[in-house]
Amino acid sequence: MPPTPLALLASPTFLLTTAFSLLLALTLRLLAILPPRPRRPTPRRIGAPTRLLVVLGSGGHTAEMLSALHGLNTQKYTHRTYVVSSGDDFSARKAAEFERGLEASGGEPAGGTEKANTGAGAYDIAVVPRARRVHQSLLTTPWSAGRCLWACLGVLLSANGKGKSGDGVGRGYPDLILTNGPATAVVVVLAAYVLRFFDVRGANSSGVMRTIYMESWARVTTLSLSGKLLLWVLKADRVLVQWEQLKGMGGRAEFLGVLV
Amino acid sequence: MPPKGKQASSKLCFVTVGATASFNSLISATLHPQFLDALSKAGYTNLLLQYGKEGKPVFDKLASKLDGPSGHGIAIDGFDFNRDGLDQELKAAKGLPENAEGVVISHAGSGTILAVLRIDVPLIVVPNEELLDNHQEELAKVLEEQGYVIYGRLEDLPATIAKSEELRIRHKSWPPVNSGVHRQARGLAGVMDEEMGFLD
Repeated sequence: MPPTPLALLASPTFLLTTAFSLLLALTLRLLAILPPRPRRPTPRRIGAPTRLLVVLGSGGHTAEMLSALHGLNTQKYTHRTYVVSSGDDFSARKAAEFERGLEASGGEPAGGTEKANTGAGAYDIAVVPRARRVHQSLLTTPWSAGRCLWACLGVLLSANGKGKSGDGVGRGYPDLILTNGPATAVVVVLAAYVLRFFDVRGANSSGVMRTIYMESWARVTTLSLSGKLLLWVLKADRVLVQWEQLKGMGGRAEFLGVLV
Repeated sequence: MPPKGKQASSKLCFVTVGATASFNSLISATLHPQFLDALSKAGYTNLLLQYGKEGKPVFDKLASKLDGPSGHGIAIDGFDFNRDGLDQELKAAKGLPENAEGVVISHAGSGTILAVLRIDVPLIVVPNEELLDNHQEELAKVLEEQGYVIYGRLEDLPATIAKSEELRIRHKSWPPVNSGVHRQARGLAGVMDEEMGFLD
């Protein structure tokens, strides 16, 4: 007796074939967007509204990041979002302090007269759950990392909430994501990839969310786990290292001197 | 903060264990009589410890022992942690505005090292060997090789005080002037601009 259509659908062969096709399709899609985007970003004029997302990883990571961002040009980076982990008051305070510094210096390193793009409306601090607490069991890590990923997706998607709204596809996404580890930084980049993968609201086609990973100044001869992941697996568009010993890792780690 | 109203030439040794992990062996090493002797010989008047959330019992016990008549003439103070950062303490170690420049003894966290190098006080970095991340040790080593800090070991901290006086004289300031093509031209801001498409 020939199998019924329904039984065919449930047959191992069919399921395997379907699973395989899906996997192939996903892999091809992934390969299509995963390599560093070859084209240079389209030229942009200074003064256009932009959105910079900075992940503050806690402690030394935060200190290094804000030190490297010293003198940020707010004419170019008109809106900043700082992502901090829940419970990391230090990073949240440091971000606010950094913004007060930008405001006080008039927002322009050259001491221009315009006091634009600083103060309350020009930045926000997004808090996400920790991807993994120190000493957290590996069993529960997927759960907390998943919650963190969910929150990061929310941050990237709702980034258009403040001020500027709805002028064009992908308007709300950060134009640039800047990270220097640890776990949360990887999850933010992963969230960006998920959105690009499905091209949610033009996440991939509009060329937003380019990523720069800056390896910690404390890493002299070996990359951190975040660094390895963002160099080889999640492929940040740019990977910067701060010691010459790490130059050229993965064929593309750049050494531009000390950045902090 | 060190007590105010000392004579104008006070000289502070500031010890910090950081915010995240406890580092009680550094507390005991810096409250050791031999270490205090070394401080005293180098003209120090104050010792201030940031001992961390779990360091208070060790600090209290050792500091009370030192209170006796055998005093080394060094005023000892301690606090657990300052939410607002260590700027004030670092400035005090720098001797600002009118005291002698002292020294900072720090765990090997990059944030603290960076802050101390920027404020430009001689720094002794003591990696916490109980933490299993040797990259902190690596940073301390490479910075010592380049002459920016003293790599301190718990077992010979008294000797490193003398070394830090040499460091003060040699004095090499941070940040390094990166060679030609680096930094001044690009740095992080340059890479950010490239990725954004800002053509200057």
